[in-house]
Amino acid sequence: MFRAALSVCGGGVAKRLISSLSGEVVLPLNLRLPPNLIGVPREKRASPSGSDLPVVRQCEADIPAHLSPIQTWCESLGSQDSEPLGVVDLHPDVFSVPIRLDILHAVEVWQRNFKRISYAKVKSRAEVSGGGRKPWKQKGSGRARHGSIRSPIWRGGGIAHGPRGPTSYYYMLPMKVRVQGLKVALTSKLAQDHLRVVDTLEIPTPDPQYLQDLAKNRQWGDSVLIVDIGEDFPQNILQATESLKTINLIPAIGLNVHSMLKHECLVLTLEAVKFLEKKLLWHDCRFTPLYPFKYPYSDMP
Amino acid sequence: MALFGTVLKSGISLLNCVRHFSTGTCSLVRMHAIPKLKQVDRWTEKRSMFGVYDNIGILGDFKAHPKDLIIGPKWLRGFRGNELQRLTRKKHMVGDRMMTQDRHNLEKRISFLYRRFNRYGKHR
Repeated sequence: MFRAALSVCGGGVAKRLISSLSGEVVLPLNLRLPPNLIGVPREKRASPSGSDLPVVRQCEADIPAHLSPIQTWCESLGSQDSEPLGVVDLHPDVFSVPIRLDILHAVEVWQRNFKRISYAKVKSRAEVSGGGRKPWKQKGSGRARHGSIRSPIWRGGGIAHGPRGPTSYYYMLPMKVRVQGLKVALTSKLAQDHLRVVDTLEIPTPDPQYLQDLAKNRQWGDSVLIVDIGEDFPQNILQATESLKTINLIPAIGLNVHSMLKHECLVLTLEAVKFLEKKLLWHDCRFTPLYPFKYPYSDMP
Repeated sequence: MALFGTVLKSGISLLNCVRHFSTGTCSLVRMHAIPKLKQVDRWTEKRSMFGVYDNIGILGDFKAHPKDLIIGPKWLRGFRGNELQRLTRKKHMVGDRMMTQDRHNLEKRISFLYRRFNRYGKHR
């Protein structure tokens, strides 16, 4: 065992020495792609910082002086091979926050568990039918002494410490933690090039194949989450996404960390970006609530 | 020949201790082949739309709370407690609608748990 460990250590040291001597870049083991990987590797898009296209949208909220807005392409869904329309400015306090994986994990676990109600229930010895009478007398029969035929040690008896009744696992994370979870999720989607901004959701045909070809051409990934503000979506995109399983359409109010992690790519419209920035930035500069926010405040609409 | 065979067998048993009887039982789980993996569809309607509207409070002007989305028994929506708390809440909210046997079992369980939590053991 020790000899094997020593040989592994020796091999690793030798590899590092070789790479430093020869000057080649050798990727560590966990970053190397296997040679038999199916699928086209994603090509990185050019960053929009040096392009000539106009800035389609600027941030409404004030950006702190020491930060600068992040820029992304604004695309159109109108045709398969349309060029980006322009460049969009995104607020750094929503789309470029420090990536807190622990907050992301906490929010994801909260989303899984707070709605959970487990209906497991077993009968205790008091609830199983029968078992009121002492089966045989205490002394003299030669058998072990028992008080009822439904005690937990009997076959067919009740369960002593089983699951009892519908149990709920409800709890709430602090509001600012949930807000920060959304910001971290948006930041990581943008950082990994899985966030696309689109001007409107108008597509020429209600054909689901059009969206699938679009996703393949623009390298969106296997699953796409399309987010628009409001309840009214164009009929074409509604019909197209109805039959598709991996391309889903939700209003901006329904955005959440679990859906963002489940779907590979996130497509936001410009109004959805404006709505999200307004809602998420308000929590940075609000007072602590004296009473729940659902009751009217004089200075809040 | 038979004598030679018996001598051989006794020799073998002396050397390798071969038993002519079994001391164990067979496993009750019998499998003739490797079982097939169960096919789980990760993109059903429920799984793909899981978690939507969970942030309806922070993104929706606080008109609704995520606890209003929970589907379940009336006495457990937006509530968490140990068994005694759940049962007393159930009795308070739903007790007058319950069937007689269920209500009797509920009351017995409440009195048992009350005595167990408040009279026995280290924590009372």
